[in-house]
Amino acid sequence: MTLYHFGNCIALIYVPYYLTYKSSGLSEYGAFWKCFQAGMIYMFTQLAKMLVLATFFPDNVGDIGNDIIGEFLKSTVDLADLIGIYVVLAGIPGKGHSKVLTAGIGWATAEVILSRAVFLWVGARGAEFDWKYIEKCLESNISLVQHIVTATLVWLWSRHDLKSNLKTIVTVLLVFLSYKPLLLDLIVKMLMAGPWMGLLIKALVTGVTGFLTLIIYAGLAQVIGIF
Amino acid sequence: MWLEEVEEIFKGYLPYYVLVFLPIFIIISPANPVSASHEFPVYRMQHFDLHGVPHGCRSSNINLEARSVSGWSTSRHCVVAKLQDLTVDNFKSICTKAGALIIVLPHNVDKLKDEDYQHLLLLENAMLEEEISIPVYFSNWTPELDTVTTELLSNIDSNDLTKSAAENIISSVAANGYQVVVSTNNPSIKNDVKLATIHGHLQGYGSNGKIPTIAIVAHYDSFGVAPDLSYGADSNGSGVIILLELVRLFSHLYSDQKTRGKYNILFILSGGGKLNYAGSKKWLEDQIESNEGSIIQEASFVMCLDTLAAGDTLYMHVSKPPKEGSHSSQFLKDLKASAELRQPVTVEGVHKKINLADSLLAWEHERYSIKRLPAFTMSTLKNHRDFQRGTILDTKSRLSVERLTRNTKVIAEALASHIYNISNGDLFGQSLDVSKDYVETWLNYLSTQPRSPQLLSNKENPLVNYLKDNLGKNLRDVKITYTIPDKRDPSFQFYEVTKGTMNIYSVKPAVFDLILTLAIVMYLAVAYFAISYFPNMYNAACTLTAKKMQ
Repeated sequence: MTLYHFGNCIALIYVPYYLTYKSSGLSEYGAFWKCFQAGMIYMFTQLAKMLVLATFFPDNVGDIGNDIIGEFLKSTVDLADLIGIYVVLAGIPGKGHSKVLTAGIGWATAEVILSRAVFLWVGARGAEFDWKYIEKCLESNISLVQHIVTATLVWLWSRHDLKSNLKTIVTVLLVFLSYKPLLLDLIVKMLMAGPWMGLLIKALVTGVTGFLTLIIYAGLAQVIGIF
Repeated sequence: MWLEEVEEIFKGYLPYYVLVFLPIFIIISPANPVSASHEFPVYRMQHFDLHGVPHGCRSSNINLEARSVSGWSTSRHCVVAKLQDLTVDNFKSICTKAGALIIVLPHNVDKLKDEDYQHLLLLENAMLEEEISIPVYFSNWTPELDTVTTELLSNIDSNDLTKSAAENIISSVAANGYQVVVSTNNPSIKNDVKLATIHGHLQGYGSNGKIPTIAIVAHYDSFGVAPDLSYGADSNGSGVIILLELVRLFSHLYSDQKTRGKYNILFILSGGGKLNYAGSKKWLEDQIESNEGSIIQEASFVMCLDTLAAGDTLYMHVSKPPKEGSHSSQFLKDLKASAELRQPVTVEGVHKKINLADSLLAWEHERYSIKRLPAFTMSTLKNHRDFQRGTILDTKSRLSVERLTRNTKVIAEALASHIYNISNGDLFGQSLDVSKDYVETWLNYLSTQPRSPQLLSNKENPLVNYLKDNLGKNLRDVKITYTIPDKRDPSFQFYEVTKGTMNIYSVKPAVFDLILTLAIVMYLAVAYFAISYFPNMYNAACTLTAKKMQ
């Protein structure tokens, strides 16, 4: 089963990325290098985050729920991701759909390659079968949507022509997204839900935030006239 | 359309040689299975040759699918079974037709019912009767292993006709299979085998010339179906403990000129007691051949100690009934007198001629009797074929320390009254007595180490050295004699690999992977449509917001 199962996992994890890249029309703009740059910035951001985490949270182990404040502070470091995405967006000229899509896809692809490839290579190829590899693959699909949403929100937030009440919503959503992993972990732990249930909750939450973001974005896009 | 796009990727970003190198990388990258979630230490069955006759299991590697004791069918299956679930018959059929056997030992060996205990002894003995070609391993009970065996038992057998076809299909797709992997070296003959026999003596006091000798022998090795599990608390831990206790008591007495006895006492801890008493044989040959003349030749009797905590009756096994007035018969009287004072111990003599036609000797004293030395074996077992003399169930928790102490006391008193020629033996007491603490300490030490001969036969074995040091503190001229099997015609041979690590991987049937692929393709199709209809969704969102703005 080994290599075949690995193939299964790879298909499940990377094909949606490829489909998104293709059908969004980014390939026609030659946005590959921009995506690559986004990936580089992702790496740099993660490095910076790790430095901070290693400096201030040396005992970076422990089950979630034991030390909620510590976990909260650790999640705060994730705000650096937003800065990273902002830098990526600033590096992409122009405006329009392709801008946020490039940033989101580049960022998400870098994450999926850096955090999942080795994991799958080492794990899913072994003789031992475990559902967790399939779960991780599906989770990566969810995080693709999530990163595009985040990129969109960051772009919206950086716009000065956004209405102030919408700006509040955008800010709240951004902060919520940063703390989302922590919140979801806590919820899953409280509900005593299994990994599949946890996955479903993640998908639902991401779907709802995505829908809200889409509406705000559509509104703004019509106002400033990008189609 | 698809092909073109793939081609475009390769043209644009990925060079073609990746197509060549990637498969090569995949092939050469170490494909060892990742550390499994289930990893257990396992102990291989005995594997040795004695007098050219092979014993035990002959192979060691396993990489097979696990099945329960009732569910296996071909030699591609490794049977994982609890020891209690095996019978002699299905063990034999597994050995001839299955691929491998993993035996899970009972959870609580000490709390086995008597009936089960007897069944296991019988089974263990049956296992060692014949040479086995498949690998056989033993594992201690763990909760994880228990779940695996239970799950294997509950898996639906595909040949089971009572289940419906649909059930069979579902179970054949979704069943949790297990792959058992034990990778060790191939069993090879162990080189540099040395069985150590340790001896030392206490010098007796005599005015004229020759001083008679009393020799006390106990073999210190143990035997069981798996070398690494044979702790041999009773056989022959008890004999060793009694010997060491006698060393302690008599060295005290002999250290003072006034209480020194008229006999030399020779203590021998022999190796290879479970290998037809090879250690005693070699030692005796050396002693008789040596020029200086050994004190063993002046032996008034040789007392072998073997399995002395199994009951309250001490049997004195002899090959020839001792003549009236000889030292042995005198000692038997002393022993009976000593036992009478300490109920419920009784003493009985058992006479069995040496069967020279049998290649294996029954008791250790026969080695000495063959050389015309007056010898006998003290044991609480009546028959030398008793399975308790070689079982992995012979552990400390099954042994009664009180009984062992009492039997030690009986023997020590008898020996003392024989040496000092005092008839109403009650010599030890108060400051110098058989000590239960001492017995227990030694028992703790000996019963926590597997003492199978193959484990003790290497150079500078710590256990052998420790025993030697202990004798050295109290005795004179403590020496080690080594028994080395002859190169051309070895009387015994050991094989390497006595234990290993077993990995159990949970695996799914190949069909499951195909079904998983189908599911993934369907999921991807849904994702594809979702992405391609995304513009419509965007438009819908636009109209929604457009309405709001108006």
